[in-house]
Amino acid sequence: MSYAPEAAQAGTAPGSWRERLRRRFGAWIKRRIPPARSVTLDQRRIFIMPSRVGVFFLLCLAVMLLTAINYENNMSYGLTFLLATLFIVAILHTYANLAGLGVHAVLARAAFAGQQTEFDLRLERGGRRPRFDLRLAWPESNEQRINLIDADSEVLRFYCPVGRRGWYHPGRLLIETTYPLGLLRCWTWVDLDLQAVVYPQPLASAELPGQAAEAGSGGALPVPGAEDFDGFRDYRGGDSLRHVHWKGLARGQGLQSKLYAAHAQSDRWLSWEAFAGLGTEQRLSHLCYWALDFERRREAFGLRLPGVEIAPGSGDGHRDQVLTALALHGVERSA
Amino acid sequence: MKANEQIPRNALVWILLGMAALLAPHITRLPLWVVAVYGVCALWRLQIYRGVWPFPKRLVKLGLIVLAGTGIWLSYGSLLGLEPTVALLLTAYAMKLLELARRQDAYVLLFLGYFICITEFLFTQDLLIVLYSLLTVWLVTAALVALHQGARAHIRLAPLRQSGVMLAQAFPLMLVLFFLFPRIGPLWTVPVKTHAARTGVSDNMSPGSISNLSKSDAVAFRVSFEGDIPPKAELYWRGLVMSRLQAGVWSSFNYYEVPAAERRAAPVATEGEPLRYSVLMMPTQQNWLYSLRYAESAQAGVMQAPDYRLFRPVEVEEQYRYTVRSWPDAPLAPSLSDWRRLAELRLPADDNPRTRALAQQLREGAGSDAAFVEAVLERFRQQPYIYTLQPPLLGEHPTDQFLFDTRRGFCEHYAAAFVTLMRAGGVPARVVAGYQGGEVNPVNRTVIVHQFDAHAWAEVWLDGEGWRRVDPTAAVSPSRIEQGLEQALAGEGSFLADSPLSPLRYRGIDWINSLRLRYDALTYRWQSWVVGFNSENQLQILQRYLGELTAQKFVLILLGSGLLVLGPLGIWLMRARRGPAMDAVTREYLAFCARLARLGLQRGPGEAPGDFARRAAAAQPANAEVVATVTRLFEQAQYAPAGTMQREAAQRIRQSRRRLRPR
Repeated sequence: MSYAPEAAQAGTAPGSWRERLRRRFGAWIKRRIPPARSVTLDQRRIFIMPSRVGVFFLLCLAVMLLTAINYENNMSYGLTFLLATLFIVAILHTYANLAGLGVHAVLARAAFAGQQTEFDLRLERGGRRPRFDLRLAWPESNEQRINLIDADSEVLRFYCPVGRRGWYHPGRLLIETTYPLGLLRCWTWVDLDLQAVVYPQPLASAELPGQAAEAGSGGALPVPGAEDFDGFRDYRGGDSLRHVHWKGLARGQGLQSKLYAAHAQSDRWLSWEAFAGLGTEQRLSHLCYWALDFERRREAFGLRLPGVEIAPGSGDGHRDQVLTALALHGVERSA
Repeated sequence: MKANEQIPRNALVWILLGMAALLAPHITRLPLWVVAVYGVCALWRLQIYRGVWPFPKRLVKLGLIVLAGTGIWLSYGSLLGLEPTVALLLTAYAMKLLELARRQDAYVLLFLGYFICITEFLFTQDLLIVLYSLLTVWLVTAALVALHQGARAHIRLAPLRQSGVMLAQAFPLMLVLFFLFPRIGPLWTVPVKTHAARTGVSDNMSPGSISNLSKSDAVAFRVSFEGDIPPKAELYWRGLVMSRLQAGVWSSFNYYEVPAAERRAAPVATEGEPLRYSVLMMPTQQNWLYSLRYAESAQAGVMQAPDYRLFRPVEVEEQYRYTVRSWPDAPLAPSLSDWRRLAELRLPADDNPRTRALAQQLREGAGSDAAFVEAVLERFRQQPYIYTLQPPLLGEHPTDQFLFDTRRGFCEHYAAAFVTLMRAGGVPARVVAGYQGGEVNPVNRTVIVHQFDAHAWAEVWLDGEGWRRVDPTAAVSPSRIEQGLEQALAGEGSFLADSPLSPLRYRGIDWINSLRLRYDALTYRWQSWVVGFNSENQLQILQRYLGELTAQKFVLILLGSGLLVLGPLGIWLMRARRGPAMDAVTREYLAFCARLARLGLQRGPGEAPGDFARRAAAAQPANAEVVATVTRLFEQAQYAPAGTMQREAAQRIRQSRRRLRPR
C-alpha cells in the first residue's frame, strides 16, 4: 500500500507504461502538492480511500445483508445499516484526524555515502483535537508511528540510507492514518523540500602525494596530541565545541574558543591534481579521507578542486565546507 | 500497513469485554462446555499477554478445531440447522482468541463479533435484547477504536467515548436506510431453527398436556380489535380440532386421512358485521393459527381447514401477523356428511364401560340431543367435580375413573370426558383446543393471550343448528371462563407456582402491573412496527408521506438525508480543529483581552502583556489592578514548569474577567 510516487524502481524499463504512468502521476502530484518547507494538511493535499481492512469490512456487511434478506430479519437489517453508516461517518473522522496537521521541515543532516542521513521534522497538532495513529515515512526511511494527544508538537527523526555522493532527495513524505476504525486509509504525500548532502565515501591511501616530504606523519596513522595551545579568541560559528573554553564561560568571561597552533608551519593543500590518473570518484574519496585525517589532527588545510579553492583553515565549519565541496563536485548546486 | 503490528493492551481488554458481552445472550441456548471454552481461551490469551504461556502450536489448534466440531455434533446430534451452526461459530470465535497476535487478527475477530450479534437476532428480536445488542456493538466498536489508539499506560474510556459518538452520528442515517431499503424476499433457503421448542397447544391432547402449558406465563399472541373487544367469556381462540381418540390420546386428522371430497370446508352463511382483528403471534414452530369462530382471512398464506380453523402451510418460525374477520354467530355445517358423522362418533371399543352406560342412560332420559347436552352439563354442575391444576393420575379406563372416582381434573379432563359421553350417547362431538380469554391491556387496547390461557373445550353437532360450542369447564368452574385461570385457582394457590418471579403473579400490586402493561404495549408496538416491518408496511408508509413513489424521489431522499446528517457533522469536525493550538492560560488571557477590547482598550498586535498592562493602567485606572493581576498570573504561568500552576491561573484569569468594570 505504501506506494512511493517518485521512487523510481530499478528494473522497470524506462519506456514501459508503468514508468510513464508513474512519471505522469509524479508531475500531477507535484502540481497538486508543490514542495514546501512547511505544510498544513488540507483537502487539496489529503486523499482518502477504503483500506484493505475496509474492503474486507464491506464484504462482511454484504454477508450480513444477505443474512438479513434471507432470514427477513429486521434487526439484522438495522445492524447492517448501522455499520454501513458507521463506515460513512468514519470517512469524516479519519479525514479530520489528518486535516489541519502541520508538518515543518527542521533539518537534513549530511552523511557519508553508504551511511544513513537524518531528517528531522516537526509535527504540529494544529487545534485541540488529539491525533491518533499517524504513520510517517519516506520511501526509503524508517517509519514513525505517533499519537499527538497532550503534546502540541513533536520532532521526529528519520534515517535514510544514502547511496551516492551528491544531493540526496528523500522523495515525498507519506503521512497516513487509519484512525479511528481502520476501515479507511487517509494519506498524503508531502514534499518538504528537504535534501541532504552526501559526502564521498572516505577511502584511505598510503600517503598524500605531493606531501611525502613530511617525515614521520605515518601515512594513514593519525598522530594524537600533536598540537600546542596558542591562546583564546571569541567564539565564531564553526569552531569546534571541543575547543570552547568552558571554564571561562563558567567564570562569566563569555564564549571563547581555545586556539591551537598546528605544529606544521606550512599550510597543507589537498589538491585534485595530487591523485592524477585515478577516476573522479576515487580521487574525491581519497581527498575526503585526507580532509578527515587533517581535521582529526587539528591541522589546517586547504582544498583545490577544478574551479573551487578553499583557503586553508580548520574547525567543524571548515571541514563541512570542504566535504560539501567534495560532495558536490561536478553536481549541480541544487536539484 | 505492516504485518507485525501488535495489539495494544487496552485493545485486548476491550476485545475480551466485547466477546463476553456477545456471548451472554447466547448462553441459554449453548451447551455448557462452549461457555467453558470461552473461559479457557480468554485465560490462555491473558497468559500469553503476560508472557507465561506461548501461542498454541498449529497441531494443537487443529486438534482443538476437530474437538470442537465433534463436541457440537455430539451436543446437537448434527452440524446442520441454525443452532449448531451458531454454536460452532461461537466456539470458533472463542478459539480465534488463541490466534490473536496482530492487528489483522483483531479485525477478523471484531468483524466476526458484529456478525455474531446478528445471529442473536435470528433467535429473538425482543426489545431488551436489541437494546442490549446495541451495547455490545458499542463495546466491539470501542475495541476497534482502541486498536488504533496505541499503547497507553492506563485503561482509558476514550475508545468508548469515540465509538459512542460515532455510533450516535451513524444512527439517524441508519434509520433512513432502514425505512427506505427495499424488503425483498429470501434469495435462497437458509438453515432453520431445528432445536427451538415447539410452544403453544400441541396437535394431540392427553391428560396433563394443557395443564403443563398453564404453568407458563409466556405470551402466545396479542390481538388488536378494530372495534370493541368482545366480553372475555366469548373469547374462545380455536387452534386445533381433535376428532380422533386413540389409546387415550385425542388428535386431529392429517390432511391425507381426510377423503378428497371432505378436504374443503363447507361454505358458511355469514351475516352482519364481522369482528375484525389482527393477531400477532409469537413463534410456535407449529403451523396452526388461532382465531375466533367462524374465521376467514383474506391474507395470502393463511388457509382454512375443513373443521373451520386457520392454518399456514409452513410452520410459524418467526413472529407472524395475520388479519381475520370472524362471525361468532354463523352456523357451522348445518348438514353433516356421512364420513364426518362417522368420524365424529367413533370411540374405541371396550373402553370406559361405566361412561358408556351413563351416556346411554342420560340420552334415554333426555328428549333430544340438546337436552342430553344439558343433562350432562347439569351432572357436572351438581356433582362435586373440582377444577384443579393438580389432578390425580388416571389408570386403565381413565374416563370412568375420572367421572366416577377422582372427579378432579383440568379442562382437558372435562372436555375429553364430555366428548366421550356425547359420542357414547350418539351425538357427534369433538374436542377443540386453543386459548380462552386473555388480558385486555388498557394502555393500547390489545388482548394479551398467555400460555396459561390454554384451554380445551368441546363442540357438539346438533341437528338443525350445526356445531355448537360447549364448555364443560364452565359448568364446573364458571370463574375460569369469566375471570381467568388465576381466579379459578385462587383457593389452590397453584397459579404460576413454578415461576415465583413472573410479574403476572403480582398483578395485585398496582405499580408493577401498570409497568408490566406499559412494557407489554411497548413490546406490541415494537413487534408490530419494527420487527414486523415488511414491504407492505413500507409501501404504505412511503406512499402516505411521499405520494407516488419514483426512483428520483427515492434517490433524492437518500442523498438529502445523507447531506442533512453528514453536513453538520463535517462542519462540526472541521470547526473543532480550527483555531491555533493553545494552552488554557493563553486562551483565558486572550479572552480577557477581548473583553478589554470591548471596553475600549485594544491590545496592539505584538504588544507585550507587560506594556499593555501599563497602558491599560493609565487609560482605565478603575481596571488597573485587575489587569495587573491577570498579567502577573499570565506571565508566571508562562514561565512556570508545565502542570504546576497553569490550571489555577487559567481559572483565576477567567474569574478576573468578570471583575472588569466599564468606564
